[in-house]
Amino acid sequence: MKKYILLAFAILFVGIYLFPLYWMYVTGLKAGSEIFRFPPTFWPQTLHFNVVDIWVRLRMDRFLTNSLIIALGATAIIVAVGTGCAYALARVRSIWMDVALFATLMMQVLPSSLMITPIFVSFNMVGLLEYPRLAVVLAQAAKLLPLYIVLCRTAFMQVPRELEEAALVDGNSRMGAFFQIAVPLARNGILVTSVLVFLQSFGEYVYSRSLIGERALQPATVGLQSFMGPNTSDWSGVMTYSAIYVTPILIVFVLLQRRIVSGLTAGALK
Amino acid sequence: MTSMAQIELEHVDKHYGQFHALKDINLTIPKGSFVALVGPSGCGKSTLLRSLAGLESISGGTMKIAGERMNGVPPRRRDVAMVFQSYALYPHMTVRENLTYSMRLNRRPKEECEKAAKDVAAITGLDELLDRYPRQLSGGQRQRVAMGRAIIRDPKAFLFDEPLSNLDAALRVHMRKEIRSLHDRLRATSVYVTHDQVEAMTMADHVVVLRDGIIEQQGAPLELYDHPANRFVAGFIGSPAMNFIDAAVSETGDAIVLEGLDAVLPIDRRLQPGRQVKAGLRPEHLRLGAPENSSIRLEIAVVEFTGAASYLSSATDPELTIFHAGRVEVKSGEVVGVSIAPELVHLFDPVTEERILAQSGSE
Repeated sequence: MKKYILLAFAILFVGIYLFPLYWMYVTGLKAGSEIFRFPPTFWPQTLHFNVVDIWVRLRMDRFLTNSLIIALGATAIIVAVGTGCAYALARVRSIWMDVALFATLMMQVLPSSLMITPIFVSFNMVGLLEYPRLAVVLAQAAKLLPLYIVLCRTAFMQVPRELEEAALVDGNSRMGAFFQIAVPLARNGILVTSVLVFLQSFGEYVYSRSLIGERALQPATVGLQSFMGPNTSDWSGVMTYSAIYVTPILIVFVLLQRRIVSGLTAGALK
Repeated sequence: MTSMAQIELEHVDKHYGQFHALKDINLTIPKGSFVALVGPSGCGKSTLLRSLAGLESISGGTMKIAGERMNGVPPRRRDVAMVFQSYALYPHMTVRENLTYSMRLNRRPKEECEKAAKDVAAITGLDELLDRYPRQLSGGQRQRVAMGRAIIRDPKAFLFDEPLSNLDAALRVHMRKEIRSLHDRLRATSVYVTHDQVEAMTMADHVVVLRDGIIEQQGAPLELYDHPANRFVAGFIGSPAMNFIDAAVSETGDAIVLEGLDAVLPIDRRLQPGRQVKAGLRPEHLRLGAPENSSIRLEIAVVEFTGAASYLSSATDPELTIFHAGRVEVKSGEVVGVSIAPELVHLFDPVTEERILAQSGSE
């Protein structure tokens, strides 16, 4: 009995969390007048597909390409730099490593909206604003790197040190043991964290809004914002835009769910 | 077995910051021999083994493997194989891939790897399991893969780091014999770390007892049992552990008076009368007899039977343990007589804890 009550609560809360998502899709499918009807309809009476129209009219291909460039760029830098860093923090035990870890965690608490002013000034001085998307990639990489390092560090800590030592004795170098033993065994952590970083960067707003002035270089988040304002009437269009933008993210999440296979390291020890 | 030294350690020291883990270790391991490093936890035996593998660097001294100086040489250039306590099998590789990992690192041809994997699998009894992953194996099978991974290398030395401590008792005894018979077949130089003195005694040709980073004694297993160099080795080797009793040499110099037991034991050497000593009596050397014609009379507190043998503990202070093969008709509270052959009485200096030799130097 208790099980069913808990289940009912779980469903209720999931419903509350997912309601905005549902409302986004439903509103995107409604025609203009039905959106403002009261009481609202929970399922559109006339389906109104305007995906292609919105895609073409709002130049979504351009926005999404920019979003992808920014997200992939930031993720690539973070994975390249952060993986080794996380490994070192997981393996070397010393007071300086604790200091480094603390400093890393400190960087994470600074919000983008606070950091953007010094970033803007310094990027302007070195001329990075000439390449605004690169500037956003760098700023975003710096922001998410600590998160990546901290999460990957735990993944590496779960890889027994003996496995690398065995590889060393078997004839591998430190570097080889890292790439052939540590990385493959921490790959779930690395993969999940990378996707997380990618999705975060895909939805990045503050840096893009501040550093990218040219409309053709702006990502989808900034583009969407420019269609919204006090006089917005095309809610169907906005919601369709959002749906197009969010759906790939949701699909990635569902796929990611399947990749989290636990117990990969089971059987290594004992 | 040739007498050529395969591993030579000269004045090896190891510091971890302030901690002095290994102190002036001198050890020569002949080619083809099986050496056990044994001692309580924290004695430095694992550190010594890891230093041999190159996983730890030594702070001082010289380390040679097959005549080559190994100080500062990375593990991959030492040509030694190690079996870890936790086995350390690569979980993302099959048994075949685990076995051939070192060969694949050396870019050996595929057919050669496959043949070697088959051969080693036959030796270790893994024929049917080559395509399994470590997580699909039992503890004993994993142990065999770990062994196989070492055997396939045909290394200059095998290093074992407490390989049996994760197995249950029955399997441990079985693997003990298997490792030893494997060694007898392959005749590869082996260094075996264990905290279990029974393992060390049964498997090794040469036992090295370590404590606090110092070699307390080394020698053949029975040599350590018969002639322990000091009180620590005497207490460590043998099960159940040796009984230690404070005693004084009698006025005649050829017997000792056990304190607290009011007993006089003849000894086989002459010592200075009145000298304080620590007497060591092995439980299995104490013989039960009638109280009237035995040198020690004891009240028995506890009698334990294992079926094949009986363990008696005395109610005296100091407590004595007696090992009796077979069964005894003794109940707790009963007084029994105990005697021991003079040549089986071990004597140690109470201060230095060193073995006391006969003053005439006859021993």
